Amino acid sequence: MSDERLYTVVDGRGAMTVFEIYIKTSPERLWEAITDGEMRKRYSFGVGIESDWTPGSAYRAGVPGVIDISSGENVEVDPPRRLVQTFEALWSEEVRAAGKTRVTWEIEPVGDDSCQLRVTHDQLPEGASSELFGGWPMILSGLKTLLETGEDLTTPGSLMYANGGAWA
Amino acid sequence: MIDDVFKALADPTRRQLLDELFEEDGQTLSALEQRLPMSRFGVAKHLKVLEGAGLVTTRKRGREKLHFLNPVPIREVHDRWVSKYAEPWAAALTGLKKDLEEENDDER
Repeated sequence: MSDERLYTVVDGRGAMTVFEIYIKTSPERLWEAITDGEMRKRYSFGVGIESDWTPGSAYRAGVPGVIDISSGENVEVDPPRRLVQTFEALWSEEVRAAGKTRVTWEIEPVGDDSCQLRVTHDQLPEGASSELFGGWPMILSGLKTLLETGEDLTTPGSLMYANGGAWA
Repeated sequence: MIDDVFKALADPTRRQLLDELFEEDGQTLSALEQRLPMSRFGVAKHLKVLEGAGLVTTRKRGREKLHFLNPVPIREVHDRWVSKYAEPWAAALTGLKKDLEEENDDER
């Protein structure tokens, strides 16, 4: 894949961040963990996601009745290798101001039994709040823990919206 | 992998490079070189160590190679090492602070 197309600048919005992690798992299991709402809850602050995962479909992430986290479109869906989504953050006034950004998930098999997962969050407005992308390291660390050990990562905050936001 | 992360972090120049990328992500070698009192060769060498540890990742844009901070390994170190040892204390202190504040409220 050429890096070039990751650098399209839309309306002057060209800032990007990159997050990479190695996980001992298969591309198929990793894809499932990214797109399955119930699995997602276990490493993404307790937040689930809903979509039918067809190209051009919509998705919505949040805890019904508690908080909306994000919504957008699944622009490219190529299991188990590549998912491109528009990403509109909804959880606070500050992040809502950023409008529509983009998240690209890329899964690359490494060796016999591992994958590199690369999450690129781009088309960010210049000077975008770091709150917008600051959660990715914890999410990816939790995803790795879940796939490699079957356990939830229980660092404080990592499941803050689990059980309907009752985390204290 | 975790050894590489600790090794990469055990050098002030490399920590400074991470701080520079935290300030402004996606910089070229030339831009980073100007911020450090060091030769281009020296900066390139340190960047290579950071890349090897997964703390820095690169992308090409046209003819430029941009360097990005990847904070995920630091998060992994935190989740594996820091939270285990430090957070029971932090939680206890937060609890203590809350108790004291409530006590103060009662006195008012």
